[in-house]
Amino acid sequence: MNLIKELYNYREMLFSLVRKSLRGRYKGSVLGFLWTFLIPLLQLGVYTLVFSVIMKSGYDKYYLFLFTALVPWVFFSGSVASGTGCIWDQRNMVNKIYFPREILPIAHVTYLLVNMLLSLLIVFAVLILSGHGINLVAILYLPLVIFIEYLLALGITMLMSALDVYFRDLQYIMEILTMAWQFLTPVMYGLDVVPEELRTVFRFNPMTSVIECFRDIMYYQRIPDISTLGLATFMGVFFMTVGVLAFGRLKRGFSEGM
Amino acid sequence: MKPENVIEVNDVRKSFKVYKDKGYMLKEMVLFANRRKYEIHEVLKGISFTVGKGEAIGLIGQNGCGKSTTLKLLTKIIYPDSGSIRMRGRVSSLLELGAGFHPDMSGRENIYINAAIFGLTRDEIAKRIDDIIAFSELEHYIDNPVRTYSSGMYMRLAFSVAINVDADILLIDEILAVGDANFQSKCFNRLKEIKAEGTTIVIVSHSLGQIEQVCERSIWIHDGKIMAEGSPREVHPIYLDYMGTKRLENAQHEAIRQKKKREKEALKTDVSGENALPRDTSVNEDKADCEDDLTTISSEEAIKKNKKRWGNGMARLQEIELLDENGVDSTLFETGKNVTVKLHYHVKQKVEDAVIGIGVFRTDGVQVYGSNTRIDKLDEFSLEKDGVVCLVLKNVNLMPGQYTLDFAIESGMGLPIDYYREAKRVEFFTTKDDVGLSRIEHEWELG
Repeated sequence: MNLIKELYNYREMLFSLVRKSLRGRYKGSVLGFLWTFLIPLLQLGVYTLVFSVIMKSGYDKYYLFLFTALVPWVFFSGSVASGTGCIWDQRNMVNKIYFPREILPIAHVTYLLVNMLLSLLIVFAVLILSGHGINLVAILYLPLVIFIEYLLALGITMLMSALDVYFRDLQYIMEILTMAWQFLTPVMYGLDVVPEELRTVFRFNPMTSVIECFRDIMYYQRIPDISTLGLATFMGVFFMTVGVLAFGRLKRGFSEGM
Repeated sequence: MKPENVIEVNDVRKSFKVYKDKGYMLKEMVLFANRRKYEIHEVLKGISFTVGKGEAIGLIGQNGCGKSTTLKLLTKIIYPDSGSIRMRGRVSSLLELGAGFHPDMSGRENIYINAAIFGLTRDEIAKRIDDIIAFSELEHYIDNPVRTYSSGMYMRLAFSVAINVDADILLIDEILAVGDANFQSKCFNRLKEIKAEGTTIVIVSHSLGQIEQVCERSIWIHDGKIMAEGSPREVHPIYLDYMGTKRLENAQHEAIRQKKKREKEALKTDVSGENALPRDTSVNEDKADCEDDLTTISSEEAIKKNKKRWGNGMARLQEIELLDENGVDSTLFETGKNVTVKLHYHVKQKVEDAVIGIGVFRTDGVQVYGSNTRIDKLDEFSLEKDGVVCLVLKNVNLMPGQYTLDFAIESGMGLPIDYYREAKRVEFFTTKDDVGLSRIEHEWELG
């Protein structure tokens, strides 16, 4: 409770860190903030080219199939992979001034969330312009799914960034791990091609149900399965709880650990 | 917590593990888990103090005594092992200026970012931004990117933000050396202002003068414990006295070490036989220079070649003794006291119309003083056989710091016979806090 109150008091710091990341990122480039939209659009162009012209796949409009899952995946993997170092990278600040340490992982994940939301605008534009269309009722579920993914990404990022202070290899391990993780998550393929007996194992992957939900809503244009949604919610809340508790335990030693 | 107190520190202890080789990497953590040795370094050994509202206190002490650790504990960057720290109100710490500045963003944007780190909301910042900009004197540059700022401008901006946060408690670590003299005095005035408004201030500084300007109480921390506490006027002289004697001890240790080193080297020289030594060995450079190739070399050339000693060798300075007021051989003297110099010389060949001189230099090469027997209108004299010259330097009002002494024997024509550059290195200390190059004896008369 105290933590929430304190985070609320420091909300301006959170906003300014997010703003700084968003604006600082493309500062100095000619196109500036436009890159935020340009990068997913160009990515989409590349995938379209590769998968509808060169490597044809069994899914209808595979580039959309891929992209509706890739955008949320990039948000998650970006949070976890680069977020693992978010405390260590700011050690000068952590060593010198007091602020609720939770701000750092929250700011990092929120910044990537904003990036994803902007990318989703592109996805919607393409869904409409390509004639694929959108289901407005299903879309109502999207904010919930995004929130669940946010909890999941934040929980894991908090846990990893706190451990990273004491165990510096984690940053590199997480980079490799998220790469492998992507192939074990139904991003480039659907859960339907996974052998029946392996699907239960896949369900243990917290990202599986989240990605499924995104794809259901945007690609299949249907309301996500209640069991999938339930599992995703459980995973999100579980990892968030673990992350907050572990972070609270570890944060007292941050300055000494560095 | 008592209502009149804003900070209560109660019997706080803190120790750090100092790893002999800290391994962050997996290999070291797993493979050498048992081999990772560390020592427990106890920095604070039970410290208690309280600070009331609107009070300003200064923490003093030598390096490593634990005063910065205390401040870090107050900032909640680290936590005590035992004991408690209680504080009331918003804390702003000036431990790090310009934390979170982004070089590509404008000064104005960075004010928002930096102030947010101190826990201000957007509205609060908006209310203060004009004050902050005005205080920093950067009106014309405030919309330029911070990377285009000079380091002085950068610090001014950062300080302006930190000091305008309106904290209840302001913690300051050794950072008042910001900007030029004008800006510094402005900072001090502002500190006094916010103190008058009821802000509690804790300062860590080596500059006792700064503390005296702002604080009504000083706490001297020594070796993790509080040694003395009271008004700066009471505490600072005790502290300075202690530091003075400590330095004297250090100087004596150093002198003994140097002497041992010299004896060792002398022994080596004897064993190997002086003639067998090559000319340029550093061990006996002085002697070699002076006795051999020297009749031809001029002072300018010698300085150019960075030689320490030159001359034609007709006579030679041998031992140089520096005695303090008690007649003790020393290299550490107190400002304002007498220093006695005894120059022992050896004569090889009779020197007629000799001049003996002294030069005092600051370590940066600036000459502080110089004189010789001719300037002082002593009768012409000649050196016939070995002897001693005694020179009493009276009330040497050199301000604290290191100085080097040159001594020379010259002939009346100005020809160097034995010029010994940086023959002695001395240090002055004082228990007063006056500043400058040299103390001017003075008296106040208050009407």
